[in-house]
Amino acid sequence: MNSSRTKLTWLLIAIVGALTVCPVVMLVLGSFSEGLTAFGHFTVDKYVAAYTDPGFYEVMVNTGIFVLASSLLSTLLAIFLAYLNTRTDIPFKFLFKIISIIPMMIPHLLFAVSWALLLNPSNGLINLGLKEAFGLDSAPLNIYSMWGMILVEGLLDLPIAYLIIAPAMASFDVALEESSRVCGAGTWRTLLRITLPVLRPAILAAFILGVVRSLASFAVPSVIGMPGRVHVLATYLYEMIATGFATDYGKAAAVGMSVLVASVTLIVVYRALTAESEKFVTISSRGFRPSVIELGTARMPLFGLVGLLSLVLIVLPVAVLMYTSLVPYSMVPSAKAFSMMSLKHWSDVLNDPISLLSLKNSLFLAVVGATLGVILSVFVAYVIVKVKTRAAGILESLSYLSFSFPGIVIGVGFMWFFVQTPLYATIWALLLGYIATYLPYGIRPMSSAFIQIHSHLEESSLVCGASPLTTMRRIIVPLLIPGIVSGWILMASMFVRELTLSVVLSRPGTEVLAVQILRFSEDGLWGKLSALGIVMILISTTLVVMATLVGNRFKAVQG
Amino acid sequence: MEIRIRGVSKYYYSEGKTIKALDDVNLTIPSNKIFTLLGPSGSGKTTLLRCIVGLETPDAGEICIGDDVVWSKDKNISVPPEKRGLGMVFQTYAIWPHMNVFDNVAYPLQVRNMPKDEIRQRVAETLRFVQMEGFERRPATKLSGGQQQRVALARALVAEPRVILFDEPLSNLDAKLREETRKELRAFLGKLQITAVYVTHDRVEALALSDSIAVMRAGQIVEIGTPQKIYFDADHRFVADFIGRANLVKATVIAEKGGCTVVDCGLGRIVCQHRDIPVGSEATLCIRPEFIRIVSGAAPAAGNLAACNSVEGRIESLVFVGEVYEVEIGVGDEHLLARIDPDAKLKEGDSVSFTLDPAHCLLVAI
Amino acid sequence: MKKLLAALCVLCAAAQPQAQDKAQLDKARAEGKASFYANITAVEPIIKAFTADTGVTGEYTRISTSKFVATMITEFEAGKLMADVVQAPLPVLDLLKDKSVLASYRSPAAAGYPEWTRKDDKVQIFGIEYVALIYNKEKVKAADAPKRYEDLTLPKWKDKIVMPNPANHATTISWLVGLKENVFKTEAEWRTFLQGLAANKPMFVASFGPTPAPIESGEKLIAISMPKYIVTKAPAPLDWARVSQPLMGTPRAIAVASKAPHPAAARAFIDYWLSKKSMEMLAKDVGEYVLAPGIYPPIDGIKEAKVIAIRELSDAEIQKWGAEFKKIFDVK
Repeated sequence: MNSSRTKLTWLLIAIVGALTVCPVVMLVLGSFSEGLTAFGHFTVDKYVAAYTDPGFYEVMVNTGIFVLASSLLSTLLAIFLAYLNTRTDIPFKFLFKIISIIPMMIPHLLFAVSWALLLNPSNGLINLGLKEAFGLDSAPLNIYSMWGMILVEGLLDLPIAYLIIAPAMASFDVALEESSRVCGAGTWRTLLRITLPVLRPAILAAFILGVVRSLASFAVPSVIGMPGRVHVLATYLYEMIATGFATDYGKAAAVGMSVLVASVTLIVVYRALTAESEKFVTISSRGFRPSVIELGTARMPLFGLVGLLSLVLIVLPVAVLMYTSLVPYSMVPSAKAFSMMSLKHWSDVLNDPISLLSLKNSLFLAVVGATLGVILSVFVAYVIVKVKTRAAGILESLSYLSFSFPGIVIGVGFMWFFVQTPLYATIWALLLGYIATYLPYGIRPMSSAFIQIHSHLEESSLVCGASPLTTMRRIIVPLLIPGIVSGWILMASMFVRELTLSVVLSRPGTEVLAVQILRFSEDGLWGKLSALGIVMILISTTLVVMATLVGNRFKAVQG
Repeated sequence: MEIRIRGVSKYYYSEGKTIKALDDVNLTIPSNKIFTLLGPSGSGKTTLLRCIVGLETPDAGEICIGDDVVWSKDKNISVPPEKRGLGMVFQTYAIWPHMNVFDNVAYPLQVRNMPKDEIRQRVAETLRFVQMEGFERRPATKLSGGQQQRVALARALVAEPRVILFDEPLSNLDAKLREETRKELRAFLGKLQITAVYVTHDRVEALALSDSIAVMRAGQIVEIGTPQKIYFDADHRFVADFIGRANLVKATVIAEKGGCTVVDCGLGRIVCQHRDIPVGSEATLCIRPEFIRIVSGAAPAAGNLAACNSVEGRIESLVFVGEVYEVEIGVGDEHLLARIDPDAKLKEGDSVSFTLDPAHCLLVAI
Repeated sequence: MKKLLAALCVLCAAAQPQAQDKAQLDKARAEGKASFYANITAVEPIIKAFTADTGVTGEYTRISTSKFVATMITEFEAGKLMADVVQAPLPVLDLLKDKSVLASYRSPAAAGYPEWTRKDDKVQIFGIEYVALIYNKEKVKAADAPKRYEDLTLPKWKDKIVMPNPANHATTISWLVGLKENVFKTEAEWRTFLQGLAANKPMFVASFGPTPAPIESGEKLIAISMPKYIVTKAPAPLDWARVSQPLMGTPRAIAVASKAPHPAAARAFIDYWLSKKSMEMLAKDVGEYVLAPGIYPPIDGIKEAKVIAIRELSDAEIQKWGAEFKKIFDVK
C-alpha cells in the first residue's frame, strides 16, 4: 500500500509539475534573457530595472493594503454569510447558494464597470441619489480610490471564500460550541474563542486564496485603480510592460517572481499553521440535529443585510448588464434611455459566427476541462490530505504555482511553453492551460471533503481485498460527491469566463467567450459585451444547475 | 440542587408532521443524587437534558433549577445556557481541538474572569481529581478517548456547577474502557455530592450508576424509581422489557391468594408477586431469564408455594456464552429464555422441569 | 464565375498586366488560405468579401496590442509563425522588420496612394489611427467645443476630461509628442498646454477603447479619443471638436510575413486589402481614416480636416516620454 501511494504521489507530481512548472520555468528563463522571448542571452538587467524603480516601494505598499484588506473583507463577509446560513434561523436560505455562485460567473471587468456606473463621482447613480437626498454639493463617494478597489475586489472574491468556509461550518461539530455555552461563555465569546479558531484551516484557506487571487487580479486595478491613480502591482506591471509597442514580458516575469515567492510562502505558512488541526477528525455526533441559533429580533435586520448584499452582488451587476445590452450606447437610466431600448445588440451577437463559435468552444472547455480537472483534483487532494509526506507537500505547492502568478504574465508563460509543443494553437492547449492554472479550485473543496473521511473507511476496503484504485472508485469517490460537485462547479464556471490564458492562446477556430468579450471591450462596444456577458452567465447557470442535479441524483442512488 | 420540570413540551416539525419530542413532562430531580434518564433513541431523553441546559427551548412549561426559574413559557423567562451555571459532558466530549488540556479545563474559569493564579490552582486540583495530572500541556488532539472523557469531566466540574449533566458520555468508548470509566465516574460522583443528570440508552450503565432512574418513551416519563425497583418491580411492561432481558407471557388474573396474585397463562397456573389487578383482567407476566431455575431430580414438596410454579418444558436450543448457557425452553406455545449453569448436563431435546419464585414473577400492565 | 469576374475587375483597377494577376491568383488559390494577424475592429466583412471574391479563404487572427509583438516573435522564433499578412501600427511593423519577420512586397494596388505611404519595399501604410477631441453633443454645444487643442486647458473642462493614461499608452504618448512637433510653435508653449491639461485632472483609462463610454453616459464631457467611435457607436451623441490645427495619428501599415506559409495568398490579400473596395468598407463601416485617394469615413467635416501621420517613436523614446508625462500629470 505504501509503495503504491508513493508511486501515485510521484506520478501526480510529474503530471501537475509538467502542467504548472513548465510555463513558470519559461517565465524564469524569460526574466533572465535579453530580448522579448525566453531564449535570449543571459542578463539580470530586467531584475535590476524592475526592482530599482523608485515607484516600486509605493506600489508594494499599495498592493499590500489592497490585497490584505480585500481578502479580509471577503473572508469576513464569507464567515458572516456562512454562519447565518448554516447556524441560524435566517429565512430564505437558498439566497446564500445563489450569492455564492452567481458572482463567479460575472466577468470581473463588467462587475467593476457596473460599480463605476453606480459610484463614480460625476454621475454615479448612488452618488446622484445621495446628493439629491442630502442636498450635497459634491459627490460623497468616489469609487476611484483605494477603498473602492478594496470593496469591489472583496465582493468579487467573496464567492470563493464562501464556498470554502460554508461547508466547513456546516460539518462543524456543534457540541464544541454548546459546551462553551454551558461553560458560561455567551454567543459572541463562543464565536470568537471556539467557532472561529476551530474553523481556522478553512478561514485561512479562504483568506490565502483571496490574497493570491487579488494579487493576480487585473480587472479591478485597471478599471477602478487606474482612473483613481492608485497603482498596485498588477497595473504597475501593465504600465511597465505596455509602455511602447514591444511588450517585455520577461521584465514583468521578473516582478512576477516576487509575487510567486510571496504566494508560495503563504501556502507553506498556511500548511504549517493548519497541519495540526487538520489532523483532528472530530467524532461526529450521531443523529442529533444541529440546533439553530434563534436570531429573534435581529432576524429581519440581518436578513435585510443579506438581501442588500445579494442585491449588490447579483441583482445590480446583472441588471446593469441587462440594461446596457438593451440601450444603444452608455446612458444614465432615464425616460429617453428606456424609449431607445432595442434588441439590436442581441441580434448582432447572436448572428455573429465568431461569437457563436466562441460559445461552443467555451462550453466544450468548461465541460471537458472541468471533468478532467476534477478527476486530477481527486487524486491530488487525496495525496495532499491522506499521504502526509514531504512529497505531498511539494505537490500542494506545485498545484498553486501557475495559479498564483500574476494573470497578465502567466498567459505568456503558457504561450512560450506551448509554442514548443505540437499543441500550440489548438483547443487542447487551452484545455491543459485552464486545468493547470485553476487546479486549486478543484483541489480545495476536494481536500475539505477528504478531511471528513476517516481513514478507517478506506482501510476497511483495502482489507476486503480491493486494490487502491477500486477503493478510490467504490468507497472514496461516492463519499466525495459533494466535494466533486462543488469542485466541478467552481472549475466549470471559471473556465466559461477564463480570460488570462485564452487571450494569448486562442486562435481562429478556438475563440472563447471571454476573448470575444475582451474584443468588444477593446472596441468600446459595451452593449454587445453585455449581451454576450448575459449569455455567458446563462451558460454557467445551466452548468451549475446540471451539476447540482447530477450530484443529488448520484447521492440518491448511493444512499 | 433540585431540578423541577413542570409541564414541559417540545415539538419538532418535519415534513408537515408534528413530532412530540417531549409531551407534558413533569419531573423532580432530587438534589445531590445521580439521576438517569433512560430510554430508547427518540424517546426524548436527550431533548429533555438539552432543555434543562438551555440548548433547546421548550414549547410549553416551566423549568426550575434550585430556586431559580430558568425557563418559563408563562412568565416569559428564558435564561441562556451560559447563565445557568451548569456543567455538561457531551457525547462527543467536545474537547476543543485548538486548545491544550489546560486551556480546555481553564475555559469556564477564564470566561468568569477569575484571577490567573486561582485558575491555575483550580485547574490543577480538578485535573488531579480526574487523575489527569501532568497532562496540562498535552494538545487536545493527542488524547485517547478515555482521556478526552476525563478532560471533559474536569471541564464540566471545574467551575463548581450547581448541576452536572451527562449526554451519553460513554457511548464512544470501547466495551472494556466503558466499564472502567463507568466505575470511575461512579467513584468521582460519589465523592462530589452533586446533582447529576445522566442520559443513556444503556440499561447496564443506568443500573450501575444511578441513584434514581426515569425511563422515557415517546416524549413521556413512563416510570421513576431506584435501579432495584425498576429492575425487579417495574409497573410497566415497557419498562420491564427495556431494563433487562425478560420473558413476557400473556396472562389472565384468576385469584388473590395469600398475598400473591395468581394467573393462568401458557405456562399453566403461576403464583406471582402481588399486584392490584382485578380478577379476570389481562396482564403480562414477566420472568427474567436468570430466575428460571432448572430442577434436577424430584419435584419440590407439595404445599411449598414454589411448588405450584413448577413447569415442564423441552430444551429447544443451547448456546454457550461464557459464564452461562443461554437456553430456549419450549412450554406449549411459549418459548422462554433461561440462563443456566454451564456445568448443567443438558442437551437439545431434553425434557426439563423448572421452578419460578413468585417473588420474581412480575405482573405488569399490558 | 460572376464573383471571379468581379475579383478580376478589382484587380484590373490596380492597372497591372492581367496575365500576371491571373497567375498570382491561381497560385493563391492553390495555397488555399491567407492568415491575417492584426488587432483592428470589425474587419470581418472585408475578410468575407476577400474569400468570396478571390476564392482564397481569409482567416483573421486578432491579437491584443499588448501581446502582439510578443506573440509574433515567439511564434517566429519557434518556427511556427502562422501569419501570412501582418497589419499593425507602423512602429510595430518596424520592430518586426528589424527581427526579419517581414518580407518584401510592393502591391500594385497601392499605386494611387500618396508617395510617403510607401516607406520601403516591405511596409505599406494605408491609414492613420487619427485622434481627436470627442465630446457629448447633447451636453456640450458645438460652439462651446474646443476650437484649438489649447482650449482643453480652460477651467470649464476641469474634472470633465477622459483620456488614456499618458504614462503608458503608446499611441497617446506619441500623440502628445506629435502635438509638440506638429502643432505648437515652441516646446515651452507645449509644456504649458500639458500642465494646463494636467491641472484639469483628466480621468485616465487603459486605452482608447474605454474612452467613449464615459462621454456617452455623461460621466465626463470630452475625451482624447478617436473619431471612428462616432461611426461605430452611433447613435451615441458623439461629435468631434473641429480644431483649427491638424488631426494626428499613428500610421497603420500592412506587410507580408517573411516565412509566410502561403506567400501568394498573402500578396493577393494585400492587393485586395489596399483596393478601393476594401478601403471603402474600412472607412464606411469602421470609420477608419484611410489613405486610398478620395475615400473618407462618413463623419461630418472629416473630408475637410487635415490629418497627418505622427513621426514614429522608438520604444525607448516612448518610455522616456511616458516617464516625463507621468511626472507632469502627477500620475502616481
